[in-house]
Amino acid sequence: MNEKMKEWFMKRVPFNQEKASKVMSKIFLEEPIPKHMKNWYYALGATPLILFGFMVVTGILLTFYYIPSPNKAYNSVRYITEEVSMGYWIRGIHRWASNLMVIAIILHMVRVFFTRGYRKPRELNWIVGILMFAVTLTLCFTGYSMVYNQLSYWAATVGTNMIKEIPIVGTTILDFLRGGQEVSSNTLTRFFNLHIGFLPTLLFILIIIHIVFIRMHGVSKLEGKEDDEETYSFYPEHFYHTIIVALFLITFISALTIVLPPGLGEPANPNITPAHIKPEWYFFAVYSILKFVPLKIGVFLILALVIAATFWPFIDDMLRKKWPKIKIHYLVGSLTIILFLFFTVYEILVH
Amino acid sequence: MSENNNSLSTQKLLVGIFSILLLIILIIVAAVEMKQTRKPELVVDVSGVNKKCVDCHIQKGVAVKAIDSWKQSKHAQQNISCIDCHTAKKGDFDAFYCPESDFLVARHPTPNDCAECHEQQVREFSESKHAHQFWLIKNADRAVFENPISTRNGCEQCHNIGNLWPDGSVGECDACHAKHTFSKAVARQPETCGECHIGPDHPQIEMYLESKHGNIFRSQEKKLDLNYSSKDNKPIPIDVPVCTTCHMDGNETQPMTHNVSARLGWESQAAWSFRTVWLDEKLGNWEMKRSRMESVCKSCHAPDFIETYFLTADLVNLQYNEIRRVFVDWNKKLNKKGLTHTLIGKDGKPYSDPTLVGWDEVPEYKMYYAWHHEGRRFRMGAEMMAADYTQWHGIWEIQDDLVTMLTWAAEHGDKEAKKWVESIDPIKFAPYALYDIPGNAWGINAKSNTLPYVYKTYPDYWERIKSNVKAAYDNNLLSEKQWLAWLKRFENKEHYLGTKYNVDSTFKIYTDRDDLDTKAFKKQAVEFKLPGNPFWIW
Repeated sequence: MNEKMKEWFMKRVPFNQEKASKVMSKIFLEEPIPKHMKNWYYALGATPLILFGFMVVTGILLTFYYIPSPNKAYNSVRYITEEVSMGYWIRGIHRWASNLMVIAIILHMVRVFFTRGYRKPRELNWIVGILMFAVTLTLCFTGYSMVYNQLSYWAATVGTNMIKEIPIVGTTILDFLRGGQEVSSNTLTRFFNLHIGFLPTLLFILIIIHIVFIRMHGVSKLEGKEDDEETYSFYPEHFYHTIIVALFLITFISALTIVLPPGLGEPANPNITPAHIKPEWYFFAVYSILKFVPLKIGVFLILALVIAATFWPFIDDMLRKKWPKIKIHYLVGSLTIILFLFFTVYEILVH
Repeated sequence: MSENNNSLSTQKLLVGIFSILLLIILIIVAAVEMKQTRKPELVVDVSGVNKKCVDCHIQKGVAVKAIDSWKQSKHAQQNISCIDCHTAKKGDFDAFYCPESDFLVARHPTPNDCAECHEQQVREFSESKHAHQFWLIKNADRAVFENPISTRNGCEQCHNIGNLWPDGSVGECDACHAKHTFSKAVARQPETCGECHIGPDHPQIEMYLESKHGNIFRSQEKKLDLNYSSKDNKPIPIDVPVCTTCHMDGNETQPMTHNVSARLGWESQAAWSFRTVWLDEKLGNWEMKRSRMESVCKSCHAPDFIETYFLTADLVNLQYNEIRRVFVDWNKKLNKKGLTHTLIGKDGKPYSDPTLVGWDEVPEYKMYYAWHHEGRRFRMGAEMMAADYTQWHGIWEIQDDLVTMLTWAAEHGDKEAKKWVESIDPIKFAPYALYDIPGNAWGINAKSNTLPYVYKTYPDYWERIKSNVKAAYDNNLLSEKQWLAWLKRFENKEHYLGTKYNVDSTFKIYTDRDDLDTKAFKKQAVEFKLPGNPFWIW
């Protein structure tokens, strides 16, 4: 019976099973992993992917009830949180997974940065990674606006205001994103569309490109040990590592959701500006800088930082050629992390 | 090789330290932020002098909750802090130094302080009857009856809304905008008005809750956000009116006002109902004020309903005056005959006014009740859709007062009163002229108007009523529009009274049912005799 079914299926989908199995085995199961990856520090690259998976699943469930209209958005989120069976858990997982995804990406970047995993020939994959980080933050920003409470409404207003400062095209992009002069029903529809359609698709494509790059180059080995580091197969050990991470994460996020479930805040009121408008915590450092310098300069500063981060592998290469003895990436990396943490904590303390 | 190993160790150390540092700090940051999402109140900047006030009050445990309330206020959001309202100059009536400090502060921020920012609201309020100290002007000092200590936390607590401050300003803004949140939502909550508009003399909160408005409000209360701005001629954002919706809030037709007298057509609280002349030069005459109220009603109701409803309520006010006239005439007569007495003060001058207050003799206080308690309920109930207050707490008790007064007069030898008491004519309960309107605002009842004794007994009933309504119109107590609306009903009264419609077959179902009820109660109660004898034998 089984054979018959197989035969029936193979006739209709005539692919070379043996070849496919070999390819799968080669590019997936037998992928050589450098021995240093057995250390947990180095084995968390899949964490953002796992969290993204959680968010796709919970996100789809949230769209069953969420209504992207200014009059109904807040109430639909309230309904999900307070009335839908397990709704608070689904929403909590979605919200906490987004927070942890940002943290996981930052940790992954720290690892790649300090091990110079971006060095030749993997520069392009670093750029893909930066793009993925940017898309993730945009997903977070648009997702935060979905709740349509006072903080998220005003964060969306102030956040999008920055776009205006981009020379020449700023105002046009702002109008395009907001669908008018102010954050309105048009903005919510556009943000919703971006959040559940365009951005996740883009991120998914970038994830594929990122993994394909890794598979093409192989996982980067430690600098100086490129030739003599031992390797082991992706399956089963590293695969099980990933499964353990996934199981740990779902437990950890569930616990966080129970202990610190996301609240609802006050419904958005375009007529009342809250005393303190603040973005989500991952933008605190940027927000802090913007408070100390004029908006225009701040926006340029941020753009400069983004460009520097994107092209860091090339910048690093040039700097190393000039000062071969100095570990510039240690200095730059440490300074960036310390400043980022300082401004993030500072924002928390002043509020 | 060793250099390579050293480099790898440094690398591992950096990755390890920064990963753990980032992980711990960022998860704590995310957790703190997540906790913030559950906090309804906004965090407020407290700095400068304000910080000193707040710190000291918290440290000494003085009015700490007031600070918490202030933190929730819009004032706090806009950086309007302690000293902005409690500002004082040397010599101010309420200036004092905060203990153990050199801060000169005002104990009582007055409307003058509020007017620094809310000039329009304070002005409108000062032009309203809320600010009018009528009780100091109109009546004799009631503290002989209700001794001073009782009035401190009694009368004065409510009438404080029109407090005349030593700085010349009038009012007490926090009577409605409870301090220190000064919340619009609290001010709009019907119970805020009900703090004073309650009790036997003007139970508006009870009337409101009895009305359809109040009932719908209660059922939707949890969903309503009363913290809205009523400026800019925007539509009313809630589906059911609270007190302020009709009396203060704006809609598409008019701006919000703090002058609660701007939309009232009657002085229904007065001893005699009269068309308001309050600030006519600014607010327009009573018709203009009434039209403002009607414009609010029109947000929800059909014009025809509003017109009939108010016309009926207006006729109730006019009817009250005719009843009041009987009380006043009788009290004057009894006073003149020496059966009741005016109070005389130590200075030899009359202290009480027999037509307003007497307090110590039955006809006097029955007249007082018929005005100050039941008379107000009768009129205000009719204006506020509170049927029970028009009926049982209104006209029924007024008539009870009337019977008691006349019975007392008869017992004390007044011949006319004796004749009235001994009369067996049912019409003796209407010793005054009547007003009426064919039908009501709610619809046509095809049977109820076949019942009233006066309809069946007096063929000229409606002609008499017409002449009274016409007289009221001629005296500018009803508008031309109202007179025409009344006439329209009069000319089609068989329709509006429902008498032209034959519904006997339907009505018979109920008369048959009623026969069964009558038989049942006769059998079960009236004719049911117990075998054991009573213990007291008549």
